[in-house]
Amino acid sequence: MHRLGGICIGLHRYDRIYVDYKNMPKNLISISEAAKQVGASVDTLRRWDKSYRLPSIRIGPRGHRFYSQEDIHRFLRNDSSVAKQWAISPNAELPASEVYCPTRDIFQARLEKLQSVLQGKISDSSISLLCAITGEIGNNSFDHNLGNWPDVTGIYFSYSLRERTIVLADRGLGILRTLKRVRPELSTSSEALKVAFTETLSGRFPEARGNGLKFVRSVIIKNPFTLRFQTGNALLLLKEFDKDIVVSQTDEGVGGCVAIIGFEKSL
Amino acid sequence: MIIELKKFGSTLISRPSGKEAWLAFQPILKDIPENEEVIVDFEGVAVLTPSWTDEFLTPLVSRFKNKVKLHNTDNASVKATLEILAK
Repeated sequence: MHRLGGICIGLHRYDRIYVDYKNMPKNLISISEAAKQVGASVDTLRRWDKSYRLPSIRIGPRGHRFYSQEDIHRFLRNDSSVAKQWAISPNAELPASEVYCPTRDIFQARLEKLQSVLQGKISDSSISLLCAITGEIGNNSFDHNLGNWPDVTGIYFSYSLRERTIVLADRGLGILRTLKRVRPELSTSSEALKVAFTETLSGRFPEARGNGLKFVRSVIIKNPFTLRFQTGNALLLLKEFDKDIVVSQTDEGVGGCVAIIGFEKSL
Repeated sequence: MIIELKKFGSTLISRPSGKEAWLAFQPILKDIPENEEVIVDFEGVAVLTPSWTDEFLTPLVSRFKNKVKLHNTDNASVKATLEILAK
């Protein structure tokens, strides 16, 4: 890297751009603003910069981190697709540590962090309900795959305040294989997904369980939330006031489950 | 007898933690006279799910039946959970 008077100028190095303040591009935001938009801490953004998950633009003699607004938008748009790609990929790799919850305890701690992050941004009742359905979906992954994870144990869990989404994914058995244990006649992911969201049936017979996804549905349709839930090649889209369960087919199948909860209209 | 759920935490979401709460409470429950009211107080609970509740409240109600009374159930996820479990 060339240096001029201690100032890094216009050079790309390892995908990072070093510029001086004079040549600072417009539309850059500070690391604290970027952290706020992404819904992560400044320290997390520094780690993501080092790991190239979200590279910064270093400015001035001390290399302060800035971010282009476009990069942040791209990153936020991609967060749910990153989760889906992780769930679909034939390679069983661990997700980035910031979004990976290998155990329930870690998931619980991060869900409690989400509650505090949401404080003051949406109503207390929306926080309570969003965290409850997130908790149900996340714990459902642990409940149904305990001791049976095909490869990576645990779940992917992230959220974006700017996009107002919460993303959960697992590389577990998926709903069809789980429910087939107690209802062998189920043959497609679409049928299994419908059953999971409409009937009180548990894949953990003889235990009396199976309310979790019915609860998620009842909360979504009574509140300004949305849900996009995929398992296998079946995709369920649910929103406020929906009466019926409509499942469509996707081109790409997910081994486990991917859920994206939206709360764009929540106050 | 008053059971303050906040003493188990303010985010009560998973089945294992609900089951653990139920087991931990057994020594106290065994001393409650059969005719005594059992008040479950939800004050201080920020997030509740059917999974946690099914492991704690469902066995409590099946044991003490209509002597179980629920107090301070105004929280949104508490209400939604109790509605789904009542069905």
